[in-house]
Amino acid sequence: MPIACDSIRRARPLLGTFVEIEVATAAGPGTEAAIDAAFAAIAEAHRLMSFHERDSDVSHLNRNAGIRPTRVHAWTFQVLEAAVEMHRRSRGIFDVTVAPVLQVMGLLPGLDSDPVIVPERRVTDAIELSPERTVRFRSPAITIDLGGIAKGFAVDRGIEVLRGFDIPRGLINAGGDLRVFGQEPHMIHVRDPRDPSRSIGQVELGDGALASSARRFDLVDGVEPGSSAVIDPRTQRPAGSIDGATVRAPSCMIADALTKVVMISGVGAGDLLAHYGASALLTSVDGEMQITSDWPQAVHRAA
Amino acid sequence: MTWIRYTLPAAAIVSAAAPAYAVQYLSIGEAQKNAFPSAHFTEVQAGRVWKAEAGGKVEGFFIFDRVIGKHLYIDYAVALTPGGAVHKVEILQYRESYGGEVRSPSWLAQFVGKTSGSALKINGDIRNISGATLSSTHVTEGVKRILAAYANRLR
Repeated sequence: MPIACDSIRRARPLLGTFVEIEVATAAGPGTEAAIDAAFAAIAEAHRLMSFHERDSDVSHLNRNAGIRPTRVHAWTFQVLEAAVEMHRRSRGIFDVTVAPVLQVMGLLPGLDSDPVIVPERRVTDAIELSPERTVRFRSPAITIDLGGIAKGFAVDRGIEVLRGFDIPRGLINAGGDLRVFGQEPHMIHVRDPRDPSRSIGQVELGDGALASSARRFDLVDGVEPGSSAVIDPRTQRPAGSIDGATVRAPSCMIADALTKVVMISGVGAGDLLAHYGASALLTSVDGEMQITSDWPQAVHRAA
Repeated sequence: MTWIRYTLPAAAIVSAAAPAYAVQYLSIGEAQKNAFPSAHFTEVQAGRVWKAEAGGKVEGFFIFDRVIGKHLYIDYAVALTPGGAVHKVEILQYRESYGGEVRSPSWLAQFVGKTSGSALKINGDIRNISGATLSSTHVTEGVKRILAAYANRLR
């Protein structure tokens, strides 16, 4: 592992968390500009896909897409395509339309002053994507929240920018959802979902992404809206049997989304992980930990 | 895909039982230079607010603030345009602790004088962490407070 002074690290509050960018100093004088541009790409993804900002694509969709086809930015469309595919492949477990449940729980704000209506029954094929980047919801009662996938996408865009600047090696960590690139691997510690002061292992990551989800814990004080609540769409209740999930995948968007599926399905997510070329570590509520057989271990497996 | 039971390696428990994690990203001076590269700075409020000027023109303002929570202690800076809009928000120092030392002067003293870019090797070398997402709400609220307090007053 390189020592600290070999790299430049910057952090900004974005995506509802702290986004950290680290690049090798050997990258030269354009480094600060590259970091600024990467942060700008992340901020742009945030602006497009924030549930909270009135002018985001997501807010436009939630207001209009149940009534008429609504055009979105190419990035938003790309995330929706990935979300719809993940929904289908996970047989409905990954679901960006559980936002009303989060609103009822007080984890997301209500839309305007209207009372929140939780649809009686989940709608299959709730989101219809058409050419020309237009989106339609099957019902005006549908509300989406891309919080379970867009953060990873934003990290991927930031990485793309750094690579475009010919940065040889770097890392972007959005509060635990991260991606690295370059010759020399980065050592990543995985936080214990039950005790945030502890690490439950290290992963050596050369090229690829790592994302984690856990039941909520908070480093500051009190309850915070927008934390990582994972809702099981079948029960419309918070996922119950898993305390934490960490997924390694080629892209941060896929890693981010898959953590939600693993939080709900546990070991049942094995085939889906394999399809996406991903591996996982999960911690059950009883403290038992399991890894997929291809987990990139710098740590040791149990006998 | 097959799953394997995983037990926490003893080595991981020992080396990573780290109650503290801290990174120094930028000093105040470095953050000022990043925000307004060609400007010189005049202190408007001691240790907290600076005016950035270049060629006799006001380029903007630089405000230093910190957020202190139960486990978090974060120094950050907000650069404002002359019109009072946010130009840049940067985290200067991030510190996280579960031992309750966040507010203790002796714990904080170890960060004094560190140059930027140094990942402070507290209890080992933990530098990159994947885990449940940490909320930045308090910093965001801090930025809003700063805008409310200074945006009109400084112009």
